[in-house]
Amino acid sequence: MIELDGLEVRLGGRTVLDGLTGELRGNAIGLLGPNGAGKSTLINTLLGFHEPVRGAARVFGLDTRRDRARIRQGIGYMPENDSFIGNMNGVRFVRFMAELAGLPGSEALERAHEALFYVGLGEVRYRKISTYSLGMKQLIKLAQALAHGPRLLILDEPTNGLDPMARQRMIQTIQEIRKEGSIRLLISSHLLRDIDETCDEVLILKQGRIAALRNIEEERRSNRNFIEMETVGSTAGFCERLRGLGCECASFPDGRVKLVMPDSIEVRDVYVLASENNIEIRRIHRRRDSLEDIFLRAMESEPARGELVRI
Amino acid sequence: MSVFKHEYRAYTGPVTSLPSRIGVLARYALAEAWSSKITWALFVASILPVVVFLVTIYLANNPIARALILRGNSGGPEINASFFLKLLTSQCWLALVLTAWVAPRLVSFDLADNALPILLSHPISRFGYVLGKFIALFSSLSIVTWIPALLLFAYEGYTSPLPWVGANLRVAFGLLAGSVLWIALLSILGLALSSWVKWRMVATGCIFAAVFVPAGVGGVVSAILRTKWGLLLNVPVMMSQLWARIMGVPDSIHIGRELPNTAIASVLALVCFICIFILNARIRAREVVRG
Repeated sequence: MIELDGLEVRLGGRTVLDGLTGELRGNAIGLLGPNGAGKSTLINTLLGFHEPVRGAARVFGLDTRRDRARIRQGIGYMPENDSFIGNMNGVRFVRFMAELAGLPGSEALERAHEALFYVGLGEVRYRKISTYSLGMKQLIKLAQALAHGPRLLILDEPTNGLDPMARQRMIQTIQEIRKEGSIRLLISSHLLRDIDETCDEVLILKQGRIAALRNIEEERRSNRNFIEMETVGSTAGFCERLRGLGCECASFPDGRVKLVMPDSIEVRDVYVLASENNIEIRRIHRRRDSLEDIFLRAMESEPARGELVRI
Repeated sequence: MSVFKHEYRAYTGPVTSLPSRIGVLARYALAEAWSSKITWALFVASILPVVVFLVTIYLANNPIARALILRGNSGGPEINASFFLKLLTSQCWLALVLTAWVAPRLVSFDLADNALPILLSHPISRFGYVLGKFIALFSSLSIVTWIPALLLFAYEGYTSPLPWVGANLRVAFGLLAGSVLWIALLSILGLALSSWVKWRMVATGCIFAAVFVPAGVGGVVSAILRTKWGLLLNVPVMMSQLWARIMGVPDSIHIGRELPNTAIASVLALVCFICIFILNARIRAREVVRG
């Protein structure tokens, strides 16, 4: 879907993206990185707002320099900051954007109503946007991005400034869009939780370079089998039995046991073995914070310049 | 998407052509401009002189009405190039007032709410955006300048007992060319200044200031240096000389202070260039901070 080939972008005399090379093919890609890492610049470059000084970026196989209009035709973009025409009401604004994206007037009007109902602004669609709350303003940006039926939806900090309820609603909507499957998502955020809940792949940027590109689902799957226990009793025999079942097991003098289970083993089997070996399991912990680990590892490592990254 | 099912539905219907999107921008801009009652009030005020000129033409070509209304005063107004020059001048200055009100409405709303990133993320270029707004402003100004002027010209041709049109084709050309030149300049100037200043009222003031402040400075320069070249900063004088020349009317006001056509054209081109520079700097999806 998105190909980066030695992409280098300079803004205001500073290199913001430094030789990004990679292929993003996932259905929902999270763009993570600390402030100033180049997330928004990458999005703006994909939209054709910034021209690369070196290298190229391709979306749907089209060059962002030469085929801007065709790329934008297939993209729905929700910017990070406030961006709307406050003097218009919700329907008129979304209809206007849909018509700009190429929908005939009547179709655009119909889709504007549908998009507003879909994101939950149906009841306030005839109110002027300037009177909307912050959460509503975020949702109207999402509605206009969806109205023309894009192939790729780019969301830049979609939960920016939202209260917990509004954030949950936004995350649910994004999850529904992802589940529906006809739109691919590129979500930029500095909130790990947002990316964790909505994406299946993550691209981590650091100082304008790719620090990591990982499949979150795979990481989750591998971490699902990692267990840490606190036990009372002699663990030597217990560990031996676990190894016999195909687990990788390490025991520590204070009663801690760490194990990686094969897919064929369930936690229930571990309880059974513990019972048979007179081991009391006081605490069992399954590793969950996979994205945080990925992110922290990426931040510690030195990002490579121009190295091909692919999932 | 479906209103009742609340489910997403991809769009599979036809899409319009890329150039037609500029028309969409122009249509929405026109709707925005004319949604204000003040715009309509200014439009009505701009049409009033046209009505006066229309009545004058009617009286000039209708002896019975002239006898009834002017009560024995048989010397009616003469309908010639000077008459239409007065019409062109009055309409063009009213167009400036309309520009000062309408132009900021077209651009400032987009800038105030930072709508450019969303607008330009659609398949429309920066040039397309400016062109759409330009078309909207140009059309709005057309209905108070060359359109009524040419309609009056046609009416005079229709009511005149003499073969008037054929002998005065230059007047029609002058009305069209003079108006188009002026409203094109006003449109680009209005859009540039509106994009430069976010606040509508300040932008309105800037548009008037851009026309009249340099004129004052030019007058001071001319008076101190005893030269006619200060008039190059005086847009009203420059344009009135240009309109008179296009329509073939001798300029009796500025005798000895006539500006060469090339100098006038150069100044107008320079103004356009500066406006394009401002638009290029301001109409962007993203601002880049240097340093």
